[in-house]
Amino acid sequence: MSYIYLDNAATTRVSERAAQTMLRFAREEFYNPSAGYAPALSVRRAITNAAGTIAGLLGAEAEEIVFTSCATESNCHAFACGIKNKKGNIVVGSGEHASVYECAMRLKSKGVEVRFAATDADGHVTPENVAAVTDENTAFVSVMHCSNETGTVNDIAGIAAAVRAVSPRATVHSDGVQAFCKVDTDVKKLGVDLYSVSAHKVGGPKGTGALYIRKGFNMPPFIVGGGQQGNRRSGTENVCGIASFAEAAAEYKKAAGAFDARSVAKIFTDRFSGRSDVRINGGGHTSGYVLSLSFLGLRGEIIAHGMEDNGILIGLGSACSTHVRSNRVLGAMGVPKEFAEGSVRISFCPSTTREEAEYAAATLEKVTNDLRERMRR
Amino acid sequence: MDRVIILRYSEIHLKGKNRAFFENILKRNIIEKLKGINCRTEFYYGRYIVSDYDAESEREIVSRLKTVFGLYSLSAGLRTGADTDGIAEAAASICKSKGSFRVTASRADKTLPYTSVQLATEIGGRMLELHPGLTVDLHTPDFTIFIDVRDHATAYVYGESVLCAGGMPVGSAGKGLSLLSGGIDSPVSTYMMAKRGLKLTELHFWSYPYTSLEAKEKVIELARILHKFTGDTQLVIIPFTKVQEAIHKYAEPNYMITLVRRAMMRIAERIAEKFGCGCIINGEDLGQVASQTLESITVTNSVIKRLPVFRPLIGFDKSEIVERSKAIGTYETSIKPYEDCCTVFLPESPATKPTLRRSELSESKISDYEELISEAVDNAEIIPVTE
Repeated sequence: MSYIYLDNAATTRVSERAAQTMLRFAREEFYNPSAGYAPALSVRRAITNAAGTIAGLLGAEAEEIVFTSCATESNCHAFACGIKNKKGNIVVGSGEHASVYECAMRLKSKGVEVRFAATDADGHVTPENVAAVTDENTAFVSVMHCSNETGTVNDIAGIAAAVRAVSPRATVHSDGVQAFCKVDTDVKKLGVDLYSVSAHKVGGPKGTGALYIRKGFNMPPFIVGGGQQGNRRSGTENVCGIASFAEAAAEYKKAAGAFDARSVAKIFTDRFSGRSDVRINGGGHTSGYVLSLSFLGLRGEIIAHGMEDNGILIGLGSACSTHVRSNRVLGAMGVPKEFAEGSVRISFCPSTTREEAEYAAATLEKVTNDLRERMRR
Repeated sequence: MDRVIILRYSEIHLKGKNRAFFENILKRNIIEKLKGINCRTEFYYGRYIVSDYDAESEREIVSRLKTVFGLYSLSAGLRTGADTDGIAEAAASICKSKGSFRVTASRADKTLPYTSVQLATEIGGRMLELHPGLTVDLHTPDFTIFIDVRDHATAYVYGESVLCAGGMPVGSAGKGLSLLSGGIDSPVSTYMMAKRGLKLTELHFWSYPYTSLEAKEKVIELARILHKFTGDTQLVIIPFTKVQEAIHKYAEPNYMITLVRRAMMRIAERIAEKFGCGCIINGEDLGQVASQTLESITVTNSVIKRLPVFRPLIGFDKSEIVERSKAIGTYETSIKPYEDCCTVFLPESPATKPTLRRSELSESKISDYEELISEAVDNAEIIPVTE
């Protein structure tokens, strides 16, 4: 059965060109990039070129990119190795992805003081809210660029400036997985030291991510061994993943330029705005690629089943944590439990058509109305 | 001298004239369990032997046989001739070089030229000569060498015995229908009745879209885990959504669970009869939740007219059930967080003391109740569980 796929924040379909690139490096240019013979040299160049492409999309330089196995690894690397002042406190946003939240919780269990910067009702972690919990002992700050739950975009440049005004030597990290190729992710403008991105959210394969490490920011490797990638991340490079990541990201960025995500999201918000039994979570500056809706008295998974029966796949929230009933992120935004339980996440990609969105929005209305009718006494 | 596994059966030895009936089922189950492994099964009075297998298969054979109900224990050992030299050679090969030990011998054939005590003494002496580091301790030895002489040609020599699952051979007590919710309790109750010799069919109520595909997959996985105890069986999945919606629409909210369980039991009885099952099994445990109070059980039980309902966990503490669930390997799957029943319809305060009169009154308000039940039975999905 062919589905209308609206769970692109969970993962995306690998683009044709990226798939061909993977195949090429699996079947033809399969050599170990560290080997000394000539064919391996071109594989090594492919990695360098890929780093250049990703760096270009981030406004960075190729040597500032380290490829990882996923953005979760990038985030873990940042937390494990990016904290200079071991006695300082760390600040994280309240709406972070589990990979950042759990890293913070692990540090907390080891005695590190962890402070949470509040989100406002729209889901933004503002520079003011970060400044409110930052002091001169703050060693590390991590706030996501774009929310995987609501699509709200945080003012990372403002946050970095606010942090540095109080604690000039603090490390600033941002999880840019949902922002990369969708909003302006020029790391120099953002003013971050570390920035995490992932391949499979932008038409690349699963199993590849990258961490931007600002030039001059010295950080030990998280994974040690053979000294690959300039001894910043050991392990034979996943050439298929890396090369196709670059291919996919460039392609995605180009397509995103011609895609008006906000107007697609508006098809849904127009249909549900003004209803007292539906909440549109997140507002203000959003990417438009992710939309969170909460239906009073329903359950997210039941709505998703109803949509699936109609040929539409949607998400419930972070796919990494759909089995956890309570939604930590929506809770932090002050979404009441009766609404939060009935939350679904709809997420787009540049190939999502207006027709698909219109059909999906109408179906969502029908499915939720039907469910209410079936569940009515 | 060859390597063998000696099997001992449990309660079957208490049987009289019908012993052969139980033994035949047990033999069949053992052969079935060892399918795919190159070995020979030999069945003697009171003792079964597995022989002619590759040394590397021994662990797998033992592991499989430990899940055959009806077997009490087994020992991996050696088979040799009944002469003392042969027995001593076998004993030497399993004897440790240090520590305290004893030799325990028995003879089925009393015409042999030695008594059991003489044999044990002789073999013990030879072991001491072989390993000066050994000492004899008849009461609390570190290890024991067992010698079981069957006749002039055959003696078995082995060390430790491994306890098996016990119980009665699956199939020897007839057929039963076991309700499998996906929680912790029902796999344990299923296991316990398979242990008493029932050949089981399993029944699950599925409320899609209120419960997920994963919830169904979880129950299939539980049935697969239980397969090593139950043998081949069938999992019957009842599409329960319409029944549940109708009850939700018309019933008093605090009677929701009572009526849902009554509907489940009605469906269970019909499925049981359809599949030739002589009883229904569920995982109820007195007082565990609102639906398992004496009053609730009375009201749900009253819809069953023709079959007995077995509740093997009725007197268990939750901690005891959890312990058993871990022991049989279903716990980790049971605690996966997929809804096993439609919690979206759960009332704030379910009735803990429902009455039959009010239950029947509520049910009478549900239009097409009988049709909904029949439709659920007719649309059952049957999944064969073969491994």
